[in-house]
Amino acid sequence: MTMTQQTANGHFPREQIYRIRAGVWHALVRMGSLRLTLWLFILFALCIAGYYFGGQQHNGLIITPLLLLSLNLLATIATHTTFRRQVPLLVFHLALLGMLLLLVLGRLTYLKGEAEVTSGSDFEGLLNSIDAGPLHHWPGSKLHFHLTDFSIDYAPGVQRDATRAQVSWQDSVGNTHQGIVGDQLPLVLDNYRFYTTHNKGFAALFQWHPQGAMAQAGSIHFPSYPANEYKQAQSWVLPGTRHEVWSQLDFDELILDPQNTSQFRPPVEHQLILRSGSERHLLRPGQTLQLAQGRLHYQGLGTWMGFRVFYDWTLPWLLATVLLAVLSLGWHYWVKAAARPWLNDEELS
Amino acid sequence: MERELILLWCAISVYVLAGVIAIFGVVLGKRPERTVLATLIIALLLHGISILMRWDRLDHGPYLTMFEILSSNVWSLLFLYSIAYWRYRPIRPTSAIVLPLMFVMMGWLMLSSPGEGHLPPTYDTTWLVIHILFGKVFLGSVLIAVGMAGVILLRRYKLGTHRLSRLPSDQRLDDLAFRFMALGLIFDTLMLIAGAIWAQDAWGRYWAWDRLETWSFLTWLFLAFSLHLRVTYRPQPVRDAVMIMVVFLLAFLTFFGVPFVTTVPHQGAV
Ligand code: HEM
Repeated sequence: MTMTQQTANGHFPREQIYRIRAGVWHALVRMGSLRLTLWLFILFALCIAGYYFGGQQHNGLIITPLLLLSLNLLATIATHTTFRRQVPLLVFHLALLGMLLLLVLGRLTYLKGEAEVTSGSDFEGLLNSIDAGPLHHWPGSKLHFHLTDFSIDYAPGVQRDATRAQVSWQDSVGNTHQGIVGDQLPLVLDNYRFYTTHNKGFAALFQWHPQGAMAQAGSIHFPSYPANEYKQAQSWVLPGTRHEVWSQLDFDELILDPQNTSQFRPPVEHQLILRSGSERHLLRPGQTLQLAQGRLHYQGLGTWMGFRVFYDWTLPWLLATVLLAVLSLGWHYWVKAAARPWLNDEELS
Repeated sequence: MERELILLWCAISVYVLAGVIAIFGVVLGKRPERTVLATLIIALLLHGISILMRWDRLDHGPYLTMFEILSSNVWSLLFLYSIAYWRYRPIRPTSAIVLPLMFVMMGWLMLSSPGEGHLPPTYDTTWLVIHILFGKVFLGSVLIAVGMAGVILLRRYKLGTHRLSRLPSDQRLDDLAFRFMALGLIFDTLMLIAGAIWAQDAWGRYWAWDRLETWSFLTWLFLAFSLHLRVTYRPQPVRDAVMIMVVFLLAFLTFFGVPFVTTVPHQGAV
């Protein structure tokens, strides 16, 4: 076993310090080898192929080579004089490192979610599905907007075109704003971006009067239309009870015409089939049903829109960093190309 | 539609004529460069009018169906190549390599159906157009490099040693080719950035390793690898030329192979 020698006053002898420094430098030089970079490029390419063919499940296949490449690059920056001589190239490689850092921060704090909102009602922070980084904190009901209505154009062949949803929301000072959002035009609230999606459908609007309690309004979302055109049924529980009912939307009208352009809309003529226990009822808009648990008033058929929610605060920084990378790369090659002419005298003649 | 197609077939015939003249020029040791350039310009004009007529009729750019993708790429690649051809005389004989290469795409174009596609809402954005334009400059730059790499490689054979001796030395061609590869890297990077911005708006994610994204990233990585290899080992022009060919092949497969087989939403209409 070797032990580090120390002088009587507790300091390392200078020689030893030099030796440690030389050792660290030597390790850095080896780690910062450009040949290693080439091997790491190959490793990265293989890992990407593995990640892709492995069903994109093993994130380690992306993270590991990136980590190794970063260490290799940091060591190269520390040890190579090339980067001191070629500042644009240094800026380019630093921007690559910056990008990587932002990607990591983004993965830790991002959120992707889905929400369904009934036309004429509010989004109050309830998400149907959430996929978020470990450090994300969902602000819940602080995010609030009202969906007034939406329209969707369909081209022949039931091909979905533009979606326009009218929304209104309040800013932090309490001023109300109105706007249109779409699949590519988000409503941005506190950096959360809400986009419309192909996921939308019909909503049955009810007023529920439970026995001895206050009446309340609510809606039932039928499965996405036209994706589930022949499965327009939904089971649900009467609010404040444990009683489950089953309802089905019944209509014959052609909503989306495969031969012509059309618009998504609720059918003009329809009825609801409602099954409660062994009883079966038919409901038309404006009709009321007396059940053992209370009174159910069917107001009519509306629509619901599925929104995609996205949050990643790193996006503008990421964009700035990649633009810096491209600009510095252009600058590097500009300087390099200017050093020698594109056409020499012989070629010009 | 018929008039568009007639114009297209005329353009293709004139492209082929330009290619034949270029090949005979090299084989016979003649320099019919002005004729080749003039023929190329006529073909580009005819082809350009055909693309614009279709654009006007369908009210969207040529980036939806395989027919449109191939047609617009034949045009943009030959347009960029013609600029290089016009501005850069020493490399003009490379047309005897580049034009026959383009015949492959033209053949494929003639076999694909000119039917119409439906423009999904996600394609209705300027970012897509920017993405496509950057992609075209990227592929065009690599194509110009391919012409020079082809000369370097052909010179290894008896046929090439003599016929291609008029062109600059291998070393010089290698240097020039890598200038275009560098330009290619810049525009490939820009294409990926514009694509990521489009994907963010269209599908709420800027990168998801779908088939096309994976292939285009591998192409980018390989391009960076080839530039690194060059500064690290300073390989012989022949090896560099092989690298250029591999980058082109990868890029070609990404641009046209992946959209041909994929069914994912990002069909790669570049
Ligand atoms: C991660 C590890 C990396 C290391 C250690 C590294 C290191 C270096 C070094 C030292 C040079 C200068 C070579 C010279 O002029 O002698 C260089 C050049 C270059 N690197 Fe990297 N690099 C890395 C990653 C990347 C990546 C991911 C790219 C992606 C595009 C890249 C693109 C370039 C380019 C374009 C050049 C200029 C080559 C030329 O002048 O033709 N590098 N790199």
